[in-house]
Amino acid sequence: MNETIQIIDDELQIRRLLEITLTAVGYNIIQSLNAKDGLIDAAAQHPSLIILDLGLPDTDGQDLLVKLREWYFHPIIILSVRNSEEDIIKALDNGANDYLSKPFRTGELLARIRAALRLSETQSESCTTITIGSLFIDLANHTARKNDLLLKLTATEFSLLSLLAKNQGRVLTHQYILKEIWGYSYVEQTQYLRVFVAQLRKKIEDDPSKPKLLITESGIGYRFGE
Amino acid sequence: MRQEKNKNHRLYNFFRSVKNQFLFSVITISSTALLCSPLANTQNYHLVSYILLFVVSLLSTFLAIGPVLLSSTLSALIWNYFFIPPHYTFHIDKTEDILIFALFFTIALVNGILTTRIRRQEQLAREREKRTNVLFQLTKELSKSSGTEEVIQVALSKIKEYFSFQTLFVLQDGNNILKSSGQLQQEKKLNKEEYKVAEWVFTHKSPAGAYTQHFGQCKYTFYPLIGNRINPGVVAIEQMHEMPKEYRYFWGTFTAQISNALEREFLGELAQKVRFLDESDRLYKTLFNSISHELRIPVATIMGAADTILNSSESENIRLALSKEIFTASLRLNRIIENLLNISRIESGHISIRLDWCDINDLINKVTEDLQNELQPFNFITHVNENMPLVKIDFGLMEQVLYNLLFNATQYTPEGQNIKLDVNYLNNNLLIDIVNDGSVLTTTELKNIFNKFYRAEKSKTGGLGLGLSIVKGFIDAHNGTITANNTNNKEVRFQIEIPSEKPDIINL
Repeated sequence: MNETIQIIDDELQIRRLLEITLTAVGYNIIQSLNAKDGLIDAAAQHPSLIILDLGLPDTDGQDLLVKLREWYFHPIIILSVRNSEEDIIKALDNGANDYLSKPFRTGELLARIRAALRLSETQSESCTTITIGSLFIDLANHTARKNDLLLKLTATEFSLLSLLAKNQGRVLTHQYILKEIWGYSYVEQTQYLRVFVAQLRKKIEDDPSKPKLLITESGIGYRFGE
Repeated sequence: MRQEKNKNHRLYNFFRSVKNQFLFSVITISSTALLCSPLANTQNYHLVSYILLFVVSLLSTFLAIGPVLLSSTLSALIWNYFFIPPHYTFHIDKTEDILIFALFFTIALVNGILTTRIRRQEQLAREREKRTNVLFQLTKELSKSSGTEEVIQVALSKIKEYFSFQTLFVLQDGNNILKSSGQLQQEKKLNKEEYKVAEWVFTHKSPAGAYTQHFGQCKYTFYPLIGNRINPGVVAIEQMHEMPKEYRYFWGTFTAQISNALEREFLGELAQKVRFLDESDRLYKTLFNSISHELRIPVATIMGAADTILNSSESENIRLALSKEIFTASLRLNRIIENLLNISRIESGHISIRLDWCDINDLINKVTEDLQNELQPFNFITHVNENMPLVKIDFGLMEQVLYNLLFNATQYTPEGQNIKLDVNYLNNNLLIDIVNDGSVLTTTELKNIFNKFYRAEKSKTGGLGLGLSIVKGFIDAHNGTITANNTNNKEVRFQIEIPSEKPDIINL
């Protein structure tokens, strides 16, 4: 595993912490101190993933995110002290794959990085089946199995499951999911989503009251875990 | 009845003008003389003098001194000219008639003067009594009123009652500056120019405006309100005519009473402010002490542990244990920062609540997962009503609420005992009960438990006393209520009630 990760952050201590943590597990590191350098380094060195701080000295991180997303299609993870739901949703809408607020646990960050990298691989491979733990989803035949048992899913439940599973490890906002599955006019109708998530959990989770697969991101959306 | 009153009023107005009084006296005397003209050529012309004397005394009961003097002189002259022979001259033939004329003139004058003087004195006495009474009423009501607003209201009504002026009060703000917005709840407002005059009066402490030497063009007359220690402000009156001299003195006494009452209120408010500052100073000190203590402990742990790891070659086990301490301390620091940020959000009123449909189970999962380690030593029981609908709440805020309440419970419950979380839905209300075993709270604790920086007597060390006030703030933002009480003498129960409609889910 010799993937290169670019860190765009002006705080020396955070960069040092990330460098130690990430090199310890085998990633190569590029460090950029501001938005301008960040953009140049990303273009020159093609990192497999970018960790971006929103509070940069020269430009707002959200603007840099938009600029990067014009041509950079690998995962971008936001790592910021800003932790309001508005900021997080905006960043996700601007194309960030994930969002972690400082202070963060390095273990959590590593898991998110792994998930994001794996996701970008599977997307490029365009496979028709997804296996997550004991769950097996056949996208072509619209079927899902858990522990080899066929799950009885409605069409909407299956669309929800496949949308989440295709974006495994990535936070999908309520609005995004509602738009993808129910259409534009339903983006405010979160109650539908809540009901379907509860139904789906009963079918796919070992213990629906302690979900391990379909994880809630407070006030933001859902993430499909490992 | 009303017409009569109107008539009286018109009559009163007529006699208020001295010119009219002169006119009236001339007309009355002339017409009386005219009526008596048949007696002119008889021997009874003496009778006419009696009739005229009678009329003059009648006039003196209600006319001013000038017209009375005029009428007595006029009647004497008319009597002499038309009635005393020889007619149409002022010449008097008989010595007897000269004497009678002199007597007549004197009696008419003395009678007129005496009557008007008595009347005037009686009038003055009545006026004095009325003023004393008004002043007494004013003082009584002012002493009963509390708060500047009320004092002003009393003053306005009393001024209207006695002086019938249009009145305005402009008060200072407590720092010897007139408040431009402080014109209270009064019908009229001063314009910019008038306000400048008010400021002038306030700084120069002398009257100005209409009928004075300064700013005479202004429609109001401004008088300073002067107290013993502070000058509460300025009173402006709109008067039709210049105030008579005797009124001015009384007006001075009147406003002095009002100034005193206002000053009393000002001093009272000042004292209260000082008390409040004292209180906030004390609060600041408490806050400072507890925050610095709360921050130092985890920082000390982190510094000490990291230092040991850096400077010694301890065994792997000890390094691991120290790392765990660092981690715990950093979590504690993070919690303090979160709480401080949250309380400042509540204090500044910057909570924007985002209501959205939520599955309450989701919320509980999230919080209990975060508190997994803390809850582990207890018997934690969750119960959610089976027919629980989705509820409309702010997920993020309610997560904090539940987190703080459960974390709080873990701090006060003896190990191995119960912490219960019970969620229900009743009459469009979301009900959350959190009950923990352990010693009950005292009445003082129950009263203060949601106050900022309040910490119960038997608190474990650590904590700023912010957790529950944040809970209260977030519940308030949901228009909900939270109460704390003791149940069965061995449990503490927090009850939350949040209004939430049921979702309408159609066409799934």
